[in-house]
Amino acid sequence: MTKILVLVPFALDEAQVANRQAQTREISLRPDVTFHFKPVKAGPTSFTSPHDWMLLEIALLEAGLSAEEDGFDAVVIDTVSDSGADALRSMLDIPVLAPGRASLIFSLTLGRRFGVMAQWEPALARYEKVLDEWGLRSRCAGVEHFDTPPDFANLIAGKQDEVLPKMEAACRRLVERGADVICLGSTTMHQAHGHLSSVLDVPVVNPGPLSYKLIQTMLSLGLSHSRTAYPKPLVEKSAMVHAMLDAASAVDDD
Amino acid sequence: MLAPFPLDADQLALRAKQLDAAPLPDGVEVDFKPTRAAPANYVSHHDYVIADVVLFESGLQAQADGYDAVCIDTVSDSGVNALRSMLDIPVVGPGRSQYALACMLGRRFGIVTMWKQWFPIYEKVLSEIGLSDRCAGIRSIDVTPDNRTLMAGKDHALPLLLDAARALVSDDGADVICLGSTTMHEAHAHLQENLDVPVINPGPLSYFIAEALADLGLTHSRSAYPKPQIPKPEMVSAMLDGAARSEGER
Repeated sequence: MTKILVLVPFALDEAQVANRQAQTREISLRPDVTFHFKPVKAGPTSFTSPHDWMLLEIALLEAGLSAEEDGFDAVVIDTVSDSGADALRSMLDIPVLAPGRASLIFSLTLGRRFGVMAQWEPALARYEKVLDEWGLRSRCAGVEHFDTPPDFANLIAGKQDEVLPKMEAACRRLVERGADVICLGSTTMHQAHGHLSSVLDVPVVNPGPLSYKLIQTMLSLGLSHSRTAYPKPLVEKSAMVHAMLDAASAVDDD
Repeated sequence: MLAPFPLDADQLALRAKQLDAAPLPDGVEVDFKPTRAAPANYVSHHDYVIADVVLFESGLQAQADGYDAVCIDTVSDSGVNALRSMLDIPVVGPGRSQYALACMLGRRFGIVTMWKQWFPIYEKVLSEIGLSDRCAGIRSIDVTPDNRTLMAGKDHALPLLLDAARALVSDDGADVICLGSTTMHEAHAHLQENLDVPVINPGPLSYFIAEALADLGLTHSRSAYPKPQIPKPEMVSAMLDGAARSEGER
């Protein structure tokens, strides 16, 4: 049996986690593979500022720190921000999949230029950050948003009639700007993937399910991240990081 | 000036000696403040994440405490982006400041540093500000640094640093030399005396830049560093309480 830990970037309850877990049913997965979803203990409430990104980095690092000793074979981060991925790679030997960079780089195997569909205007800054970090700006046709505040718990459930046309229009603007492939800008958009790929003539990359496929591929091929790119710390501070998130969680519950 | 480790008074004084490198601008006072917890060093992504949070917490109150600017005493620029998203006063990262200044002094710059384990912190900042192409090279002397005692007892490092800087100029094409750490400030004078190209001392540069920004009425762009919709200063403060407790128990 292969066990994969999926780290959820918000402190969600069981029903809300189930919404995210639904992504695994959108594709066929190997029968010997099981996915376990685990939310962070505490974290940012919004996700639009360097303040938020920093909090999510440490929250996801903490949530995944014990993955290896808990018997997991791999970790997937359930956010295209790839928050926590680099830090977890520095601590774990098992593969840690970062869906943001994975979906953008994968899209370049399907077309010359990709377009990114973002949620709303405040989300644009984080794509700028990713494009710079990975040097992918020249291959990006643009980032367009569909002007709808995110609902991290329910995603687009119950709002399809209102939201899907806006999403489709944003994708069509990306195609007009030269995108050969559309990348969904968040794993929370997975419920729209079926509709968008049926109405658009270009491939639509769904980052969550793609990451589940890629992590199985990595495990099958015996691949993991490079230790020279992600060196281990000389002094590990796992106890300190756990204490930080326990303290954060106590404050967040107040 | 936020020092990135919990330091005692003597250790802070070693960092404050940077102030002797050049007379401070008129009317400027610089206070050094240590963090409440820290990574042991800056050699892994595990360390960078912790560094961001502890420096962020250390600077969070700066504006309310009446400071006119914040400088981070590490060329990793850890905590800078998050602090900029919360503060309106200038937050200066010595890393990005020295690379930008180097491009005003020459075509290409080189970075001389203590050990190879620090290379990723340069690459991170260079890619963030888009100046990777202007970096002619990074050379290390493979001497383990000490973030408490700095260059004390490391006189043997000076000729090695000079050789590495010379190689950056003659072999790699650097027109300007940047120091790979604010903790190398004690080596700056020796390097500058013996090299024909400019050598930038990042710590002192940062508080001159801070003064210039304050005087010019400039600060970081809010569209590049948007404020959080829901700030969590109490949560961050609790995290550092937890970290300090955990470290105290060790």
